[in-house]
This record gives sequence, structure tokens and C-alpha cells, in this order.
Amino acid sequence: METLQVLLLAFVSIVIVNNLVFTKFLGICPYLGVSGRLDMAFGMGCAVTFVVTLAGTLTWMINNWVLAILHLEVMKYVCFILVIAGAVQLVEMYLRKFFPSLYDSFGIFLPLITTNCAILGLCLFIDLWSIKSLLETVVLSFGAGIGFTMAICIMAGIRENLELADVPVCLRGAPITLITAGLLTLAFMGFAGMIR
Amino acid sequence: MMTILAEITELWQQAGLAAVTMVGLGATFALVLLIASIKLKVQVDPKIEQVYEALPKIDCGACGFAGCSSYAKGVVANPELLGRCSPGGSEVANKIAAILSLSMGQSSVPARAVVHCRSHTEDKEFYASYTGIPSCTAANAVANVQACKFGCLGFGDCVQACKFDALHMIDGLATVDYEKCTGCTACVKACPRNLIEMVPFTHENMMVVACRSRESGKITRSMCKVGCIGCGLCAKQTDLFTVQDNVARMAYDRYEPDQASETAMYKCPTGVIVFRGKNAPEPRPAGEKPQTAKT
Repeated sequence: METLQVLLLAFVSIVIVNNLVFTKFLGICPYLGVSGRLDMAFGMGCAVTFVVTLAGTLTWMINNWVLAILHLEVMKYVCFILVIAGAVQLVEMYLRKFFPSLYDSFGIFLPLITTNCAILGLCLFIDLWSIKSLLETVVLSFGAGIGFTMAICIMAGIRENLELADVPVCLRGAPITLITAGLLTLAFMGFAGMIR
Repeated sequence: MMTILAEITELWQQAGLAAVTMVGLGATFALVLLIASIKLKVQVDPKIEQVYEALPKIDCGACGFAGCSSYAKGVVANPELLGRCSPGGSEVANKIAAILSLSMGQSSVPARAVVHCRSHTEDKEFYASYTGIPSCTAANAVANVQACKFGCLGFGDCVQACKFDALHMIDGLATVDYEKCTGCTACVKACPRNLIEMVPFTHENMMVVACRSRESGKITRSMCKVGCIGCGLCAKQTDLFTVQDNVARMAYDRYEPDQASETAMYKCPTGVIVFRGKNAPEPRPAGEKPQTAKT
């Protein structure tokens, strides 16, 4: 029962309270770049969720079972990036095979998941928070992906509605997007300190 | 001495361990990806790959696509896009046509950049010396840097934009090296005065009107020794030329090297009509006129 509570708290924490986009300001590039349309944003969120779950779990395994035993923690950055790049390649091949239309609409943003700092950021945060159980790592990684999906979908929804709104000429396009992002962040700051 | 040696040995062992770990991890991922790439192989139209092989692969974007691979996809899907690749020119277009078993249309004429100005520093009037940011875009924003509002500013935004080293600033005038120009349109986008235009080179040397000044003849003449004054002498010789807004324009696609156009070129009182191309003959010095007396 206690394990379940810890896992649930970890999930809520990473999705809402310590959301990577809103509180850590990671992954801003796709957050602003692919949030033009809701369906694309959701697809991007799913791809990132998959990559981040895979990468978070794998990097925890490598970090704890290989690097820690060999006392090679200095290499964690290189290894983490290797894992992330590999995972992205895998996702790319999978999408190209089974969702060609989604693959086309992503264009350059799909390989750019490799350089999405939210993913490397989460891998390093898991190490920093010294998470000791594999199960918690999986939940945290998955939660981070869900958090990112939620953030990008909220943004896309707002931006779709902004298309119809009467925005002053000087704020149209990028400025209003950045203002929206700032207000969203402020709103999510309200959760700060609730858990952990 | 011994301690240093021992430390070095330890360091080597650490480095060796790190290298072995890294290679091991890399090999594992490579194996997984290899299996995935075989399992998840996508059948691509072999024509797309062939077309991509035939393209220059410089990703210049002149075709309007993001790069060579997306153009390959586009041209296989829609053969009307054939001949958009200006760096490759007719050679590549023919290759693609052979792959797609199409016949070549009229699109084989290569487009090359032509700077519509021939005014070097000594030909121009300046109101003041400009010491701001050395770029055409910046200088263009400042009124009256040079007298002519239409001519080449000479700071070389186009030279920087050119990926093929085909543009050079020679005495304050952007000059195209037609041996190197591929017609990728990067300079066209870079010029803040829209002086550079893609001209279909139906012949090795094209006759062009190297001026865009829409000022009246009197003002143009006061500002530049080699500006078009809109006198219309060329238009009287052949209908290739038309004078509109005080500047002569030329129908480049209809150009044929004949007597009438040659005469028009020599009749031009300011020598604005010149040859551009790989072996273009030297333009005669501005103002030197065989017939009409020049003031």
C-alpha cells in the first residue's frame, strides 16, 4: 500500500507540480514549435512520452547497474545521450512504418526529439533525486512524458483558439504565444510546494 | 617517481574501462537498431531514390522544397515539377526525365542571376559617407546613403548569401561569376533593393538592361553616369524593349542575338544595355557614343 502511495505521489508530482515544461523550462523548443495544431501536438506528446519512458528507464538501468558498479559516473552524459539518440531512431522507424502521415507532418521535429532537453533533463533529474527503485523510475519517466503531452496539448488548444481571437496586430504570432506560455507557467506555479 | 607512474597506470586502466563500456553500450544499441531497421523496413518507391541520386544534393532550396530528398519525393509524385532544380540545370532534369520516362519540355533553359545595375563606385553620386552597419539591408533603411535609390549599395549582402562563391563586389558593384552561378536564388532573396533577378539564359551571353532606376531621365543622369534615362531609343529598334516608369525593360525569354537588338545596344546613350554571361564582351565605357553627342 505504501509503495502504491509513493508511486502515485511521484506521478502527480512529475505531471503537475514538477512539470518539466512549466517549472523546469525544459523542452521549450517543441513546446512552441509543434503546438500549432492539436492533433500534431498530441502526436508529438505521444512520441516524446514513448522516448522519455524508454530513455528514463534505460538510463537508470545503465547508470545503476553498469556505471555505478564500474565507478564511471563521469560518463553518464555521454551514455544518456547515446540511449536517447537510439530511442529516437527507434521511434522514427516505427512511426515511418505504421504512421506515415504523422511521420510526414512532424518533419524535422521528430529527429529533433534527440535534442529535446526535457528528456536528458529528466534522466539527469532521476539521477539527481537519487531514485532507488526501478518501478519509481518507470512511473516518473512515464509521468514526465504525460506532463509534456499535457503541457503541449493545453498550449495547442489555446493557440488554435487564438487563431480566431482578435489579437492586436503587434502581438500576433510569436509574441502572443510567448505571453500565453508565460501565463500558463504562472498558473502552474500555483501547485509549487504541494508535493516534494 | 613511482607514484606518478602508478597514477598514470591507474588513469589508463580507467580510460580503458570507460572505452570498453562505451563500445559495449554502443554495440548493443547498434544491434537493436539494426534488427529494428530490418524488421521495420519501409518500401520506398525506387524511383524516389534514383531521382535523389541524380540530384546535386546541396539542399539549396531553389526548387521550393526543403531539400533535395523532399524535391525527389515531390517530383516523382507530380512530374510537372520537373526542371525546378536550377543548380542541376538541364543535365539533371534530363536524368530525372529518363528515370520517370518523361519527355523534356521547354524547362531546360537555366536561370541565372543578373544584377540590374552596372554602376561602379566612380559612376555614382553619394550625398554622404555611410559609416553604419556594413550591410545593404541596414544601409537601405537609411535614406539617401547614395543618390540612386535603386542601384547597388555595394555592401555585399548577396555575396554573403551566395553559397557557391559566384558573387563578388568589384568596385562597389555586385558582379556575378557565371562560371560558378547555379541559379539557386539565394542572392535574389538577400538583395534589399530587389536588384537581382533570375533571367532565363537562352543563350550563353544574355543581353540585359542593367538598371532599375524609375526616376526621370534628368534626375537619373544627375545621380549616375550609367543609369537608364528612359529615352526609348532601344524600344524604337526592336519590340524586345519596352519603356515603362522611365526605365527600359526587356523580354528576356524572346531574346535572339540579331541585328536589331545589337543596334539597340549601341544606340543606348548611357550604355545600360550590356551582355551578361560566361564570356560576356566588355561593355563599352559609359557615355562613349558613336552617334549622338552627349552633354
